Amino acid sequence: MLFSSISFLYYFLPLTLVFYFAVPPRFRNAVLLLASLLFYGWGEPKYVLLMGLSVLSGYGSGLFLEKYRGGRAGKTGCVISVGISLSFLLYFKYADFFIENFNKVTGAELPLLRLALPVGISFYTFQIISYTVDVYRGEPAQRNPVRLAVYVVMFPQLVAGPIVRYSDLAGQLADREHSWQGAAWGIRRFVTGLAKKILLANQFGELCGAFRASEEKSVLFYWMYAVAFTLQIYFDFSGYSDMAIGLGRVFGFHFLENFNYPYISASITEFWRRWHISLGTWFRDYVYIPLGGNRRGRGRQLMNILLVWMLTGFWHGAAWNYILWGLCFAALLTAEKLWLLERLEKSRLLSRIYTLFFVMAGFVVFHAQNLGQAVSDLAGLAGAGGIPLVSAEAVYCLRSFGVVLAAGGIGATPAVRAFVRKISENAAGKRVLGLMEPVALAALMLVMTAYLVDGSFNPFLYFRF
Amino acid sequence: MNAEHGKDEKMVRNAKLEKSAGFEKNTGMEERTGKGDRLLCMTFLFLLAAGFLLCLFLPKAGYSDSERRKLTPAPALSAENVWSGRFMSGFEAYAADAFPFRDSFRRIKALTARNVFLRQDNNGIYEADGFLAALEYPMNEASLMRAAERFRFICRKYLTDENQVYLCVIPDKNCFLAEEGGHPSMDYAEFEKRMAELADFAEYIPISDLLEKDDYYKTDTHWRQERITDVADRLARAMGTALLGDYEVHTLERDFYGVYYGQAALPIAPEHLQYVTGEDIRACEVYDWQNSREIPVYDMEKAAGRDPYEMFLSGSISLLTIRNPDAGTEKKLVIFRDSFGSSLAPLLVSGYSQIVLADIRYIHPDHLERFVDFENCDVLFLYSTLVLNHSDTLK
Repeated sequence: MLFSSISFLYYFLPLTLVFYFAVPPRFRNAVLLLASLLFYGWGEPKYVLLMGLSVLSGYGSGLFLEKYRGGRAGKTGCVISVGISLSFLLYFKYADFFIENFNKVTGAELPLLRLALPVGISFYTFQIISYTVDVYRGEPAQRNPVRLAVYVVMFPQLVAGPIVRYSDLAGQLADREHSWQGAAWGIRRFVTGLAKKILLANQFGELCGAFRASEEKSVLFYWMYAVAFTLQIYFDFSGYSDMAIGLGRVFGFHFLENFNYPYISASITEFWRRWHISLGTWFRDYVYIPLGGNRRGRGRQLMNILLVWMLTGFWHGAAWNYILWGLCFAALLTAEKLWLLERLEKSRLLSRIYTLFFVMAGFVVFHAQNLGQAVSDLAGLAGAGGIPLVSAEAVYCLRSFGVVLAAGGIGATPAVRAFVRKISENAAGKRVLGLMEPVALAALMLVMTAYLVDGSFNPFLYFRF
Repeated sequence: MNAEHGKDEKMVRNAKLEKSAGFEKNTGMEERTGKGDRLLCMTFLFLLAAGFLLCLFLPKAGYSDSERRKLTPAPALSAENVWSGRFMSGFEAYAADAFPFRDSFRRIKALTARNVFLRQDNNGIYEADGFLAALEYPMNEASLMRAAERFRFICRKYLTDENQVYLCVIPDKNCFLAEEGGHPSMDYAEFEKRMAELADFAEYIPISDLLEKDDYYKTDTHWRQERITDVADRLARAMGTALLGDYEVHTLERDFYGVYYGQAALPIAPEHLQYVTGEDIRACEVYDWQNSREIPVYDMEKAAGRDPYEMFLSGSISLLTIRNPDAGTEKKLVIFRDSFGSSLAPLLVSGYSQIVLADIRYIHPDHLERFVDFENCDVLFLYSTLVLNHSDTLK
């Protein structure tokens, strides 16, 4: 089920809220679990069993690891538990990639499995690994299977994160507070995320679609496409994270932030501290640091960076362009660590241009269907192949999407936040904001509902990861 | 006091929790205390609850008049449908289609797109000079080739050197609206030239110079019958016949909202459909081969129906024969046509004793030999650019 759908907003969410708050607090986790299973099963009824199996495996592993941690059995158990979780992911997400490449290298003709990718498997697998490793490291195991299941399958963050670490949520699973204040904060956040998704990301998606369908490519059109996709993926994914964090808060949970205005970064290092923070943190804590991090010399550190970023790319998709995308960032991060960062600090403007350029080029590679298209898109940006600088269709799209591009550009910076803060600084402004807020919320909800009813373009990019 | 104190404690606890979870507040949505929070929650809950109750209890329409399509019905709930996911995907479509006040919401979306985001089109429909038109570009060369190939197939199968074959391309509204408004459009001159080249077995009759935007309905794809008498005259002259040209114009009383009206969902004033009659048109006998029945030239039942433009020869019918008992000529004509032909054909009847109208989107040309005798007939391929540019619809 999509957050940005009529079925979620006007059927699932009201019913879930009513049941959740109507039952005594001790049953709330059970309501949340049932609702989450329905939410997941709505799109993937067959894969609910797979998810259940993953959770059961995590639950059993947790109890085992708590008992045997510190010893050889614990270590072996931890490796096996992580291996089981990863095996589901490898089988459903990566099997065809390996078979295809094996066939290419050896000339064999092994048949592809052609399995449908279970939605959210990359996210919930990482959460289960986080749980078992945290228990192995000393966190108490969760004895209540409902609580553990809620941690893994909670619908706000189930299919597209943020990837919540068990240690961050363990206390809240047992005891959390609900307040008007928290719910209002969550609602603000949810509606903001929904607006990012429906009013901005989807329109950028339309522009990307128009570019792909066009037979009149031009340099301007390639650049518009690159900008549009860069904005689409940001508003799509950060919008989803906002909705997840907001809904989590309505249900009393405090999730980790996942984005912090990444496009204002002055280096790639800074970008990755601001983009998909929960994934970066996960790889740091569960891969980079266990590999030795920066504690075993510069050479080993660079190897670790390379490995982590190759895995980060591969996590996003079973295709070479994702691996290339990850490796490009590894190269840039390595360069920054060795010498570039010092130079970038000399000019804030140039460093931001540098960062945006490589982030955008990276997303062009990321969004390509294959390596060939990635190369051709990059060549298009450079004007290779004799394409014209401008085409009538590109100019039309620029006129048609100009406002939304400008809104996206501004919305990707903290300018709006600064503006709201400025108004809130004096009592009158604060009062006006307080009065306007419910009106603005209602108006936004109506407009967003209108976009959904009209059946506008509405995919979620991160659902495929 | 106690309540305030309790609230403060709660805030401190939350702050600690956020700190421990590495939670950074950077959103500009810092928690505010007070009645505002309750009001916000209540507003949100009210919207969700109202939406839910209206979705559940308001009666559902089965057909959308504005969009001219059947709305998705509620899916059947069965274990098989749920397991296969068909119930869920069906419900998603149903939920959007059956949403209360659907047309009003579609209008809100269209107005937001146009007035807030300054989008140049909504779902591919744009407004220019009070006219609605669908973006139609680029020229699809392969489609033109396919159309020409289908026409050639008919000529080879049914016609001899005795038959005179003509081709006429009807430009869609974009031809007169797009460039002026900065919307991308095809090169219509090139389109006609290319089509004429591809269909070199037919004599090309140009009509673009006789048309302008006002010859089309503002909210519909089609041209206005009362404004294309000059087009009919040119076609008739080019095909070696003459028309009486004595017409009376009638106006339908009911409002006419064309097909683009519903698609655009913008507030555009309704129009009035007009049709012309004359002695020969009144005397005509029309036979509908598809449904084996006599029909009127102007179907007043259709005029009162969902798409009043279907009043012209009862709309999309695969094969029709119009006989003119008062014709002062033995000339016969077969028109291969799309819906534009429905309103043009009545204007040609005074020049022919018989006109057959075949729509090969609905009947395969192979079946025509059972119904149509091509001997001594002139043949006119009369198609709009909209069909020629998407000729996969031609059988």
